[in-house]
Amino acid sequence: MTRVIEVPGHFDDRNFDSFAEGFGEWPPEERLLLDARSTQWASPYGLIGMLTAGQALREAKREKPLFTVPTSDEVKRYWARAGFFQQAAELFELHGKVPRATTTGPSDVLLDVTPVRASEDVHSVVDKISEGASRILHGELGLEMKATLRFSMALSEACQNIVEHAGTSGWVAVQAYTFRRRLGRRVVVIAVSDAGIGFRRSLESTHAKRFGERWGDGAALEAALIQGVSRFRDPGRGQGLAFIKRFLDQWEGKISIRSGTARLSIVPPWDEDVPLADHLPYFPGAQVQIIIPAQQPERR
Amino acid sequence: MIQTIRIGHLLREAVAAPYRNLVTRPTGAAVRSRIEEKLAGSNCLTALLDFSGIELVDLSCADEVVAKLLLAGRNAYFFVLQGLREDHHEAIDHVLIHHRLAVAAVPPGSREPLLLGWVSPDARQAFACICDRGPLGAGDVARALGWLDSRSCDALRDLTLHRLVRPIGELYHPVPTA
Repeated sequence: MTRVIEVPGHFDDRNFDSFAEGFGEWPPEERLLLDARSTQWASPYGLIGMLTAGQALREAKREKPLFTVPTSDEVKRYWARAGFFQQAAELFELHGKVPRATTTGPSDVLLDVTPVRASEDVHSVVDKISEGASRILHGELGLEMKATLRFSMALSEACQNIVEHAGTSGWVAVQAYTFRRRLGRRVVVIAVSDAGIGFRRSLESTHAKRFGERWGDGAALEAALIQGVSRFRDPGRGQGLAFIKRFLDQWEGKISIRSGTARLSIVPPWDEDVPLADHLPYFPGAQVQIIIPAQQPERR
Repeated sequence: MIQTIRIGHLLREAVAAPYRNLVTRPTGAAVRSRIEEKLAGSNCLTALLDFSGIELVDLSCADEVVAKLLLAGRNAYFFVLQGLREDHHEAIDHVLIHHRLAVAAVPPGSREPLLLGWVSPDARQAFACICDRGPLGAGDVARALGWLDSRSCDALRDLTLHRLVRPIGELYHPVPTA
């Protein structure tokens, strides 16, 4: 038996839960087929979410899942250029013609879908992003020059969470695009995802007792993002997310973290998300999304 | 005696690659242990940590390098940062405030140190006064700032605890920066 999971036509954080629901009990017993034939667009969050599913299935020692690539040539080219198929080929049995990845001049893809396995990968990611980040953040989004450094710091801290807490590897991707309906402005999106142990298990041994019966995925996310706790006893730990939250406040940016069955977001005025969504369909590991919008002229 | 330690060199040694970004905890810890080795091999009292050529200092490295050095060396050394660009200050300031620590930093092209991190507003004023005028006693600081002597003593005690001034006899000396 093969279970078919339909990849949403327009796949981003807002319909990620319906994608996660398709997997049912985790890890699924049947072989899986991710069907992306009708998909017209996927955000970096969507792209690395699919890879995370593939990785989690591999780590659960399930049969290699199938993946049918989008029918649209344009979509396939974009995903190829974003480095998706290169990573997906290791995790899925790909069906459908996949174009070769080519780089054709300046791109909205600031950072290809990039694996994060160790600290050295974080160095490479930060090195790679610096030039493009300045062009987009300062040039297009109208953020102050020092925004580039803050952005690189946020990227570094988010990627380090994988290396230090997930217990496995993960992915990062960064892209600039326009939120037409949601905001009517350009945004830069950092997406980071892993198939690791998630926030609840990472923090359980050191913080669960304090929360008592409230302990769960939502409480663990709250402890990490709002209270800045870490599983390490080192008092210098746990500052990364707090710092990201602080500067996102200044830029009306958004951070959301999904782990297990919960998602916690710091919601800016332009977004209609709820701060805490609990009892969601389970999805392995942790998924972080940071959105930085173009500044409105009066804020520049 | 002052020892200048070039962080860029130590970073390249630590990661064995030409990176200019001081990022990740393992890298920060490796750089810090090299700094400690250098200090252990010298008899200097003041270490000038030179960040020239470093593009980015993330929070993890600010914590691993600067905060942990200050925590470990608070009874042994005076640390001064130099070659930091203004946009580097944020991460270092953030972690030092978190630990309630402070350090003097000399901006590029200047000899006037500024304070990063956490000290009381009075200590900050007393620090600026001593940097501006040179070695002063508690009474001199009180007169210069229009304070009672007790207030001046409190501020100077705070600066001494943070190793931001050097008490020699009755005078408080600015930390050497060159």
